Amino acid sequence: MSKAQTEIPYGTLDLLILKTLETMGAMHGYAIARRIEQVSGESLQLSQGSVYPALIRIQQEGWIRTDWGISETNRKVKFYSLTRAGRKQLLVEVANWEKATALVARFLEVST
Amino acid sequence: MNLRRLFASLLALMRKRRLDLELEDEIRAHLELAERDAVERGLSPEEAYRKARRGFGGIEQMKEEHRDRRSLRWIETLLRDFRYGLASLPRAPGFTAVVISILALGIGGTVAMFSVVDAVFVKPLPFPQPDRIVGVWEAPRPGAVNATTVPQFVAWNRLAKVFSALAAEQPILAALNDKSGPSRIAGKAVTAGYFKVFASGAKLGRTFTSEDDRPGAGPVVIISHAAWQSYFGGDPGILHRRLILDGEAYQVIGVLQRGPFDRDETQFWKPLIFTQDQLASDAHWLTVYGRLNASATLTNARERMRALYAALDETAPMKERGGTIVVEPLKQLLVGSNLHRSISVAFGAVLLVLLIACANIANLLFAQGATRRTELAVRSALGASRGRLVAQLLTEGFALCLLGGAAGIATAWLLIRVATPLLSQSLPFTADVSLNLHVLAFAAVVALGVAALAGVLPAVQASFGNLTDSLKQSARGSSVMHIRVRRSIVIGEVALSLVLVCGALLLARSLVKLQQLDTGIRVENVITMSADLPLGAYPTPQKAVLFYEAVARRLRSTPGVAKAGLSTYLPLEWISNGEAMQVAGAEKLVRVRFKRVDPGYFSTLDIPVLAGRGITNRDREGAPRVVVINQALAAGLRDIARMANPVGKMVRLSSTDYTEVQPLMSDVQIVGIIRSERTSSPGSPDPAVVYVPLAQAPNPHIKLLVRTHEGTASIMPSIRQAVREIDSNLPLGDVATMQQVRDRTLAGASRPAWLIGIFAFVAILLAAIGLYGVLAYSVTQQRRELGIRMALGARPGDVLSQVLRRALVMVSVGLIFGLIGVFALTRVIANLLFEVSPLDPLALATACISMMVIGLLAAFPPASRAARVDPIATLRDAG
Repeated sequence: MSKAQTEIPYGTLDLLILKTLETMGAMHGYAIARRIEQVSGESLQLSQGSVYPALIRIQQEGWIRTDWGISETNRKVKFYSLTRAGRKQLLVEVANWEKATALVARFLEVST
Repeated sequence: MNLRRLFASLLALMRKRRLDLELEDEIRAHLELAERDAVERGLSPEEAYRKARRGFGGIEQMKEEHRDRRSLRWIETLLRDFRYGLASLPRAPGFTAVVISILALGIGGTVAMFSVVDAVFVKPLPFPQPDRIVGVWEAPRPGAVNATTVPQFVAWNRLAKVFSALAAEQPILAALNDKSGPSRIAGKAVTAGYFKVFASGAKLGRTFTSEDDRPGAGPVVIISHAAWQSYFGGDPGILHRRLILDGEAYQVIGVLQRGPFDRDETQFWKPLIFTQDQLASDAHWLTVYGRLNASATLTNARERMRALYAALDETAPMKERGGTIVVEPLKQLLVGSNLHRSISVAFGAVLLVLLIACANIANLLFAQGATRRTELAVRSALGASRGRLVAQLLTEGFALCLLGGAAGIATAWLLIRVATPLLSQSLPFTADVSLNLHVLAFAAVVALGVAALAGVLPAVQASFGNLTDSLKQSARGSSVMHIRVRRSIVIGEVALSLVLVCGALLLARSLVKLQQLDTGIRVENVITMSADLPLGAYPTPQKAVLFYEAVARRLRSTPGVAKAGLSTYLPLEWISNGEAMQVAGAEKLVRVRFKRVDPGYFSTLDIPVLAGRGITNRDREGAPRVVVINQALAAGLRDIARMANPVGKMVRLSSTDYTEVQPLMSDVQIVGIIRSERTSSPGSPDPAVVYVPLAQAPNPHIKLLVRTHEGTASIMPSIRQAVREIDSNLPLGDVATMQQVRDRTLAGASRPAWLIGIFAFVAILLAAIGLYGVLAYSVTQQRRELGIRMALGARPGDVLSQVLRRALVMVSVGLIFGLIGVFALTRVIANLLFEVSPLDPLALATACISMMVIGLLAAFPPASRAARVDPIATLRDAG
């Protein structure tokens, strides 16, 4: 492997998807996967396919909903968008993430 | 997992196919888009195709993950096995039919029996706040309860603060005249609080208020919903109609809601209005029920009532003192210990049948598992894990038991429909036997239990055997373990069946003993019926006496009638107590029971006069008062009053007069002694009975006894005609032959005999099927061995006896275990037996021998098949 790639920390894919949908509005699966790759500057090791199991789970939680739309290749595809519950969940997930990183950061500071 | 996700998962489970298709579409669209982007960035179509797929990652893994994420994976597998199980059932229709019918029998019987248990013991009484309803009794001595006197009841009603309602009842019978002629209906005279105690409301009109049982209140009546339907066709204008009871018109003021009272024989309720005499009398005749008020508990109600009784005691007559009051929950009063025992034993028996059915199913699944070894071995070779195979077999067993359970519920429904009319006589009226949620839940538990019991062992066996061996054709050795397990199952079945057969035989022996029991009367060709003279038509004792004499004379001259007699109580039936005899010179009262009889009574029943004389036509009003006593009383007088020969002696008696109670009367002469007739079920000694001439102490409630020359089947029309000629408005009720009366009294304890008999029959049948199955299988397995032996010179007779011997060994081992079970259960059944030991050698021997015979019968077909094995064919076949 030429470039140093990081795996997505466990459980953060949900957060990345929610954040993406918040910024970009309704998108289909491919666009979500591409967007995550682009924002992470190709430094993320992500199989694009892995967004789909994550999407179905988030959808079952009621955080996103799907609408049928037409893709750039003229195919019927699902467009995902945030629900009200999803926006709330995003705030929770962001807060959790910040809490966790702050904790880890402080831990590292103290230990060094 | 939260509820929302669970729901979504289940939804996804149901929409599996659509979701899979949608996912396919998404993947295709995704790849197309990725390819397009790659082409735009200048890659060749082939490179773009590869790049898109590389970027996407493993498609199949992703799909699996998608399925895992969105739904409950194990349920999906389970459903698939289940569907597979159901689909495989029709492939072996004979097997499936046998298993399902066995399950239908086992589960159906158990569930039907449980619905009785549920109705009698589990379900709360069908009244609001049922645990607050109590019966209140006087208890003159510890262990004995008695009906209550009117003064006591009135005092309780006024002073007791623990009840929100208290009411007394007295059962009554009345003649109802409608288009179809006179008929007798049962009712109750109750005080005003009665329906408040049971918290039962009226569907139409109202229930009683305190105005209704005041002296001088108008005649009113409340009828049950059932009576409204059957006598008035559900007439909505019923409240404007009158009910003619005993020739007197009663205004109908209410119709009860449909409910428990419709199962009772009581059809109407009228207010119980106490007369001045009753208010002063110390006769015990009221049954009292109360509803505890919100703040009272059973314990403090008991304490308060005891204190109240003690306070009242000081004013009570001398002989009444020293007792107490018993407050019992209604529920306990309704279920007697006899019924309790009968139901428990019957339920235990049906559980045994279920257990045998389980064993049989296990046996059949076992056999079927053996035939499927090849299929399982192939699956295992293709990579199915052992756990996966066990799960599959279990699920298939479960599918089978589910079908069996459904068939069982249908059977139970049928059984309940058929048996309820037969049972309702023996069950309290509050018991509503039905397939409710309790019962269905029980059925589900039973079906699951059966699935677990019958399914686990074969499943484990089928998958744990050396499966690769099964792929080879010559896997004969591996079935040794298998046949051993099946043999132990059959032994268990034989043991359990023996327990049931012994129980049935013991109960049957007990019934036979009861039939042989000397009742002191001649039962054959006697038909009995009852009549209640309405006070309106027979206001005086003289009128009643005229009627009695006329009816007896008319009956005796009826063709076909040999003898006729009248009495206030039937033989073999309970006689009310409370009277006493006092002998001159002796301090102590002798407790006696009164039976008023006419001159024909003793001869109609062939009761012999042992000393002195019987009752004659001359013992009428105006003549000296006389009585005849039974042997038991004569013996009692000898003990208490040292009276060696009571005939001719003068005694004092307390007596209930035509309508009310009178104190002791003197100058009664004992003129004869008769042999005791039985008045109750076995176990209790004959009570002391005084036979009073009906003409000297008439009573409006009488029984007619008629002995015919031959048979009682066709005599009733002439009897009715005879009575109609004397009084055309008087209905005859409770028509029963003396034999029926006898059975009713005596059969009580052994009532479950026929039920246990049916269970035992089913058990034997199941055990025989099991035995047959095992032997048939082992004969098939040993064809080769048998062939060799016969080729070496064994005769068919040797082979036959060898197989039969094997069956006998299995049955014998089963019998030994069964006998151990019988010994362990002696205490359970002893209570239900009459003069038969629970270890009665005759019953035990008969049971063992019949099990042996049935075992041989079941073994015979496989044995004769073994004897017909063609040695050459088998040897060639086996190669």
